[in-house]
Amino acid sequence: MADLTQNEVKSLGRAVGVELEEPLLTEVTYNLNALRELLDDVNPPELDHVEPLPIIAPHERISHE
Amino acid sequence: MNKADLPFLSAAALGELIRKQEISPVEATAAYLGRIDAVDGKLHSYITVCRDEAMQAARAAEQAIAHGEWRGPLHGVPYAVKDQFWTKGIRTTGGSRLLADFIPGEDATVVARLHAAGAILLGKLNMSEFATGNSVDHPFGTPHNPWDLERNAGTSSSGSGAATAAFLCATSLGEDTGGSIRNPANNCGLVGLRPTWGLVSRYGMMGAGWSMDIGGPMARSVEDCALTLQAIAGYDPRDPYTTRQSIPDYRAGLTGRIEGVRLGIVKEAMDADFVHPQVKAAMSKAVADMKELGVSVDQVSIPLMTSAAAVTRAIIGVESASLHHNWLRTRLHEYDHNVQIDFLTGAIMPAQLYYKAQKIRALTRQQVLAALKKVDVLVLSSSSEPAPLLPKEAGLKSKDEARQRMSGRRSLTGVFNLANVPALSVPCGFVSVEGKELPIGLQLAGRPFEDGLLLRVAHAYEQATLWHTRRPPI
Repeated sequence: MADLTQNEVKSLGRAVGVELEEPLLTEVTYNLNALRELLDDVNPPELDHVEPLPIIAPHERISHE
Repeated sequence: MNKADLPFLSAAALGELIRKQEISPVEATAAYLGRIDAVDGKLHSYITVCRDEAMQAARAAEQAIAHGEWRGPLHGVPYAVKDQFWTKGIRTTGGSRLLADFIPGEDATVVARLHAAGAILLGKLNMSEFATGNSVDHPFGTPHNPWDLERNAGTSSSGSGAATAAFLCATSLGEDTGGSIRNPANNCGLVGLRPTWGLVSRYGMMGAGWSMDIGGPMARSVEDCALTLQAIAGYDPRDPYTTRQSIPDYRAGLTGRIEGVRLGIVKEAMDADFVHPQVKAAMSKAVADMKELGVSVDQVSIPLMTSAAAVTRAIIGVESASLHHNWLRTRLHEYDHNVQIDFLTGAIMPAQLYYKAQKIRALTRQQVLAALKKVDVLVLSSSSEPAPLLPKEAGLKSKDEARQRMSGRRSLTGVFNLANVPALSVPCGFVSVEGKELPIGLQLAGRPFEDGLLLRVAHAYEQATLWHTRRPPI
């Protein structure tokens, strides 16, 4: 997986209303690319068959539902 | 008893002397305040000391007990809380200059419950900014480790770790999203419990990552942890995810008997090359000690443990950033530099990456629960090493450095917050580093809502060893 460039990361920032300037732009680029790389390496076979639900004790009702 | 010795009693012992009116809550509170004055200038474990409020509460407790209105084992016992929990009329900063003047109008549920139990609030404890764990800049003073002042007390409940280990409170509360109770417990030689998510109310607690945040006790003994947990656990209508299950008597469960308990050594933790050899040796010794107490030992595998730090970072990053989305646009540079990096990364996280992290999380929980079908309690180290030196500068110099921050020891604790099972750190030895003896912790994890079993196993181990009797040189 190719790293995102700083320009691409800057655009991601603009997409959420954040203007990324140096030195943060470089550091956030490092951080995001590191995370992308680490997660790209994790591909257990069941990944396509699981739902990404937050953990809620299934045997209890949630009072606001 | 010499009043100066009062802070060195356990919360349980102090509470009993107070119940019998052999010691007054006023004496105990004054003794702790005196020790805070004498010692905390070196530690910076407190952000706010509630001197007047504490003495007033102590006098009220004294009167109540004298009139036969004893409320329980924590009545009159001085405690402190991480400055992440609201305290009515007392500033609550989250460790950040952005909230330097924030004064809540009500107590967090856990604080209200400790108040109802008659415990005496000494003050608000220092922490990493907004419980992130990476902050270097501490606007209220950098917390130092009482075992070695050059070293990290652990994050993010740094002040809870330092103050409790240095006998500046009888017990304390921390908060754990990715390891923030267990890491300072490891670094400071304490017992720290991350309860099952849903056992303790999050109402009035500043969020870090909502789906993993939970407050819990940090104390110098398992019994004190059990007493503190007892006071705060249970259903709260203001936190809809709290359990309605009845809460057992955690202290009564500390029978000292653990025969027949099945322990599972987590293979990936014992095999990890990033774990200090002395830590691994201490783990092996701890397991052998527990075998002498009658447990059986097996090995279990949680393959996704090795990616837990990165998955945790992805999820917490997004959840934290969403809490701070306004200030990230208007007050960005008032945050610690490392917090800026983490929050901005979370703010721009691609949705598919977050989605994948949540799916891996679901699979991680499946693996942890599968392991806990084979055994009753999982065993591994709380950290890869004893307390490191305090960081000197913020920032990231490379992608590799970023990768290191999202792997290694953080996976040892992160795996259990992903799975939302209870996990506890109990002292299990000391590692020699540059002529200093630094504490390390054994981590135990269990099934959801079997926090009592963890406490029972930890207590039996604690009572069979002497680690908890050693004091930092301060």
